[in-house]
Amino acid sequence: MAEPSSSRRAGSAGTAAVVWPVAVTVGLLAGWELIVRALGVRPIILPAPSEIVRVMIARHEVLLDNLWPSLTLTVLGFLLSVVGGVAVALLITYSRIFRLGFYPIIVVSQVVPKVSIAPLFIVWFGTGLVSNLMLAFLVAFFPMTINAVMGFGSTDGDIQKMARAFMGSPAQIFWKIRLPNAMPHIFAGMKISITLAIIGVIVSEFVASQEGIGYLIKLSSGLLDTPLMMAAITVLSLAGLALYGLIALAERRAVYWQPPADVGAGGG
Amino acid sequence: MADAPADARPGPAGTPALAIRDVRKLYGDLEAIRSVSLDVADGEFVSLLGPSGCGKSTLLMIVAGLGRASGGTVAIHGEPVTGPRRDTGVVFQSPVLLPWRSVLDNVLLPIEFQGLSRQTYEPRARDLLRMARIDQFADALPHQLSGGMKQRAAICRALVHEPGLLLMDEPFSALDAITRDEMGVELLRLWQTFRKTVVFVTHSIREAAFLSDRVLVMGRRPATIVEEVAIDLPRPRQIAMTEDEAFNRHVRRLRRAIEANHG
Repeated sequence: MAEPSSSRRAGSAGTAAVVWPVAVTVGLLAGWELIVRALGVRPIILPAPSEIVRVMIARHEVLLDNLWPSLTLTVLGFLLSVVGGVAVALLITYSRIFRLGFYPIIVVSQVVPKVSIAPLFIVWFGTGLVSNLMLAFLVAFFPMTINAVMGFGSTDGDIQKMARAFMGSPAQIFWKIRLPNAMPHIFAGMKISITLAIIGVIVSEFVASQEGIGYLIKLSSGLLDTPLMMAAITVLSLAGLALYGLIALAERRAVYWQPPADVGAGGG
Repeated sequence: MADAPADARPGPAGTPALAIRDVRKLYGDLEAIRSVSLDVADGEFVSLLGPSGCGKSTLLMIVAGLGRASGGTVAIHGEPVTGPRRDTGVVFQSPVLLPWRSVLDNVLLPIEFQGLSRQTYEPRARDLLRMARIDQFADALPHQLSGGMKQRAAICRALVHEPGLLLMDEPFSALDAITRDEMGVELLRLWQTFRKTVVFVTHSIREAAFLSDRVLVMGRRPATIVEEVAIDLPRPRQIAMTEDEAFNRHVRRLRRAIEANHG
């Protein structure tokens, strides 16, 4: 306690948290490789990990060419959902009419499986980037909004009382208290939204597109090129992991005051 | 009780630092406070003592401008209270520090809110932290502090904008008994330096007797002031004084007053 410079890095518990998942992953991949080789499974059914890696290297050009448009759309859709989600959350927080009139509709509309709207978007916006972007945005928008609303509403009563006692104006209370207080929730929303934005982009590329990883997956499926499909899925997963990791990294810097909850004994 | 207690010393302009007149509070049909009147002189340390839920915190929040009275008036240095004021500082039951701000930045929050210059007040904030013996934690985040240290920071925050009146709502009730005694001594040390007027709400008889010039005992809901006890113990006060017969005489008298109204 009371050690201002106490490190947040966990000791042996943190190392174990890395070593075990890595060991299990390596074990599973090795098992997969062994089974495929031992049983002589054909690559069209299930390629071995080594085969997938070989394809990833050999055909990196086609993979990367299709990764960039998907990645760009994902990031754009995600950014739109963050801006839009936070903006709508502010309206819900500060406007009574919006809170009473629109918030219930937004919550109820969550039950609509958003990807089912993809064909409708094609009717409206055509088979271009706009459709894909709109779907990515739509899918990512809801969790972002809900989390931001929860964040802005989570300032505890004592803190609000304290702020009033020391004569904070509504604007000061927003910038100095409500917004930083909402940051953990906003980041939680962003982590969900980025994964959903990827789903939105891939689904819309399945439906109608001439490029992108979703298109490549569908194409290789049609060509019965399972190794290429698996390589595409792997690349997509790695890209998704990287995006998620970037947000988690940003969170650690932005929400510096919260000792990481998932690491047991460390911290103050 | 009488409107103006006999021993209330008048302030410089003849007006008391705090004048509460016939304040009442109703929550619908529930009567929380029934006609409380009270004068507090400049530089006086007054405690409101009563059991939990007797309405003493409600009264303090009305004085802080955070709650509205259903009737009566509250005036600080002759000016009626209509909302939170620059010349009051409030310490709450919990420290309510902002977890993302360093201790120093938490202490400077009222300065930022009131549009005062941070540069002008930062030396004062650091002085306060030094006096509260937490200056080595100026750059630490609240979660790195113990409960007692957090509450010290909260007291510094309440004093940073040089308010004339310090309002404290059971500030030490969440602390363990030993820390609580220490905090009382520390608070008196700060008070000795600044000589602010203090209104201190507590449900601890010993704490009220140890800290105050005057203790007002509040009866069960609806709250009224049922007894007023002047504590004539010498200052500066030391924890050792709580063993003395003089101190215990005050404690017994306060306890009898409470038991008479709550027994």
